[in-house]
Amino acid sequence: MVTEEEIEQVAKLMKIDVHDHKEFVEKVHDMINYFDILDSAGVSEEEISMKDLPLTSLREDKHIPFGENLIEKLNNYKGHYVRAPKMV
Amino acid sequence: MTKIGLEIHCQLTKLESKLFCSCKANYREQEINSNVCPVCMGLPGTLPRINQKAIEKATIIAMALNCSTPEKIAFFRKNYFYPDLPKNFQITQLNIYGDTSVGGTGSIMVGDKKIRITRVQLEEDPGRLIYEGSSSKNQITLVDYNRAGTPLVEIVTEPDFENPKQVREFLNILSDLLENLNVSDPSLEGAMRADANVSIEGGNKVEIKNIGSFHDLEKAVHFEITRQESLHSREIPIIQETRHWDDKRKITISSRSKEEELDYRYFLEGDIPWIKIDSDTREKLRSEMPESISSKKNRYISEYGIPGQVADVLSSDKFYSDLFDKSHSQTNAKEVANIITTDLMGLVDTREKREQSKLTPEHLKDLADYIQEGKLSRSSAKNALYEIVKSGKKLSQTITELDLGNLSNEDELLKIIKQVISEEPKAVEQTKSNPQTINFLVGKVMQKTKGKADPSLTLNLLKKEVE
Amino acid sequence: MNLKISALEYVEQVKNGDISAEDFVSSSIDRIKNVDDKLHAFLQVNSKAVEHAQQIDKKIKSGEKVGQCFGMPISIKDNICIKHSKTTCASKMLEKFTAPYDATVISKLKQEDAIFVGKANMDEFAMGLTTEFSAYGPSKNPWNTDYVPGGSSGGSAVSVSAFECIASLGSDTGGSVRNPASFCSVVGFKPTYGLISRFGLISYANSIEQIGPITRTVKDTAFLLNILSGLDSNDNTTIENGNQDYLADIDSGIEGKKIGIIQEMMGEGIDPSVLSATNDAVSKLEGLGAVCEKVSIDMVKYSVASYYTITATEAGSNLARYDNLRYGYEFPVEGFEFNSYISKARAKFGPEVIRRMILGGFVPSAGHAGKYFLKALKVKSKLTKEVKDAFKKFDYLIAPTVPVLPFKLGEKIDDPIALFLVDINTVMSNLSGIPSISVPFSISNGLPIGIQLLANHGEDKSLLQAAKALESTVNLPEVPI
Repeated sequence: MVTEEEIEQVAKLMKIDVHDHKEFVEKVHDMINYFDILDSAGVSEEEISMKDLPLTSLREDKHIPFGENLIEKLNNYKGHYVRAPKMV
Repeated sequence: MTKIGLEIHCQLTKLESKLFCSCKANYREQEINSNVCPVCMGLPGTLPRINQKAIEKATIIAMALNCSTPEKIAFFRKNYFYPDLPKNFQITQLNIYGDTSVGGTGSIMVGDKKIRITRVQLEEDPGRLIYEGSSSKNQITLVDYNRAGTPLVEIVTEPDFENPKQVREFLNILSDLLENLNVSDPSLEGAMRADANVSIEGGNKVEIKNIGSFHDLEKAVHFEITRQESLHSREIPIIQETRHWDDKRKITISSRSKEEELDYRYFLEGDIPWIKIDSDTREKLRSEMPESISSKKNRYISEYGIPGQVADVLSSDKFYSDLFDKSHSQTNAKEVANIITTDLMGLVDTREKREQSKLTPEHLKDLADYIQEGKLSRSSAKNALYEIVKSGKKLSQTITELDLGNLSNEDELLKIIKQVISEEPKAVEQTKSNPQTINFLVGKVMQKTKGKADPSLTLNLLKKEVE
Repeated sequence: MNLKISALEYVEQVKNGDISAEDFVSSSIDRIKNVDDKLHAFLQVNSKAVEHAQQIDKKIKSGEKVGQCFGMPISIKDNICIKHSKTTCASKMLEKFTAPYDATVISKLKQEDAIFVGKANMDEFAMGLTTEFSAYGPSKNPWNTDYVPGGSSGGSAVSVSAFECIASLGSDTGGSVRNPASFCSVVGFKPTYGLISRFGLISYANSIEQIGPITRTVKDTAFLLNILSGLDSNDNTTIENGNQDYLADIDSGIEGKKIGIIQEMMGEGIDPSVLSATNDAVSKLEGLGAVCEKVSIDMVKYSVASYYTITATEAGSNLARYDNLRYGYEFPVEGFEFNSYISKARAKFGPEVIRRMILGGFVPSAGHAGKYFLKALKVKSKLTKEVKDAFKKFDYLIAPTVPVLPFKLGEKIDDPIALFLVDINTVMSNLSGIPSISVPFSISNGLPIGIQLLANHGEDKSLLQAAKALESTVNLPEVPI
């Protein structure tokens, strides 16, 4: 059972202000409860596998500049910096 | 017992490009936010393109630290929000699904003490924050992402250190090792950073983060032990916490944010398949590794008869051992080693001086040969070296320009000797009762020739003349 | 101007000089002007499309080499980056984001002289299956504008279905190409994972999603796949396909092929008309010489839970970069502390995106990963094995693309679990990486039904042959708009 506090805690972790509290918590709650079905899948012995690539097929260590002044196309401050809020 | 464990972050400064894109790995001395592209800025839709050489370099670091190296490596996402992280997650390595980081457990000897290595992992460096604003109200943070994506190797040790001295010795060994492997230049600002964890007998473990150099790491550990001991002696409990190193005030400060509440939600980075490093590839990497410092030292001693202490100094610094290896011959090795350790090390003792030095292995070889052939005295050689480091001119030219060559023409030398004999009758007389006085006369000849007289020739001629 | 032609017909007619690219493209733009107020397939229309078509006509006249697309008008889902154009993912969060680079698929299409008529509407960040979660308003189903067109590539499917363009690129994370293709009666294809580069596709759940074409015919899909597929050094997850020609031998037929009918995709909750359409499709395939048999894939029962757990986790991480610092929308940082700024800035995400990100913070978290995320990965592994086993016996698998008929706008939007279950037939191929395609099959009470065919990993070419065979058995009415 997921509590309202837990959901609020996660919203904080994910850095999103949540409005419409009650409805929101209810829906998330229903979704998480649905996932409980995974408990009966009987997969505890299963291993997690991934595709692999040989080391020799990767990118060569070469400097290739982007070629355009990227920062001009993004939010910038005085044409150089990216601005962030103050850190506490 | 005091226990200290380290997490060393070492930039792979010898690479040309970043870990996941083709921007420059050397972000230093560049215009703010000019060394960036859509990939390292984490723009929507971009994917990491991993640098093969970065994996190779990280793997040889693991090998040099005697770590196990797995058949397959994997990358994970460490999720947290911070303005220096363009994607708000860091691509790093972990061993949660078996050993999948570039290096598993290993160890390294520090004197007689064995320091165990927990793992070696490859990850991306974040950008850099610059704080701005006068009043606290309009204060903002400025971010430069030139560094974001620089390849970083993290070396995690077990808490095997007992005191700051062991930490220092380890760091010295590690810096030399990293430099010798040609993976990193530890003297570059910010290339080596560290976190440490420190606990004293009966106290909790304290993490110290944000230590910007090896120099400060030793200081931070020392400070922290002293702080904990002081608390302990006053029977104040040492709480488990994370502290930050304040490099201006040289103290550790308790972090206000509760870092232990962070949940990084590690999971596999799906944009990078697992990378297979089969045993042939690993063997190849191992065989291509530069000679280790201890092997170099042994070679210098056994092959050339260089004294242990000289061999030690020479082998532990890649700059000098490379010079030595390129300039010596079987016959002049000792002389080359001597020039490097007694004269050169004093002349190029900083990074800038090394970079500016115009000395080549050819110069060193010539200097040693000239000394051995009696064409140049050691003191003149030192003068010539000083000049060459600045000018880069050939030794022969330097000798002519500074008039340093040995005076070995018998007739010319004899003229000067005769002059000295006529000027110093008393001393000549004394040589009959006290043979040592002849050295006084040699000195006088040297004075007149400004040190250029061939010393052994002068002695022989003098002996004949006074008899 | 007849806009109701296939891509291959278009190429033929322009080549022959029967039509010009300019005439066709400007008619398409007119069509968009006429119908898109009702349908809302587009978030943005390319004002330079006609000009671009003129240039291509010039190239054709001067005898210069012209790319295979000959100025064919294509729409692009708004989560695929086109350099210098806005790419919003139908989110307010990216209201002002202009992509500074081309996605690999865009570079390839540009090289072949395709014309991008506009950016297609979608569920915000591709999270949804109705296109109702677009922050800029829903798209409507051209078969009946009271109904959803499916999603998340709803705009793409609508634009092809309503003759606003010839083909479209969508993205399929759990059915997002096939589902709207089924609801709008067009062909929607999800290739083998890695066959088409994802570079430039804005990630939702990167470990399972693929870009996929939406077209009028199976052959058009093969034509586009020839252009789009192949290794890309910008995407380490792409796979080698040996320069296959997907159009060659597309008429091979399916005689003697074995087809498994997936039982778990035709059980409880299936609409009777969908069930009968599927049975009908099976008989038609048998009529062409295929051998059809029932097959059970046990893990399908858990696939939706696994799918939502994995996608939420990856989305939570993939969408973390939207902190509004480097790009985004107008919202100055002054006066805020970091955490409060980011949390306020990110409140601009729509409610469905926020819900899934909260899930994405929850299911992989230190305390819950064992219960949810790791189990989901294990279900994925086991499902993949079961699918592999099924292909030891069968050449293809078959199931309805969606177990229900298109539903009305607003009907399910407030019931997340009901929406989850609409995905049950499509998520399997994403979780296991295999190719699958939705082929328009019938119309029930004026609403389209698509049939899904699936093949083993890397068997995309063979899958298109089967799809072509199925397509040849149907003759569907024209879209009533």
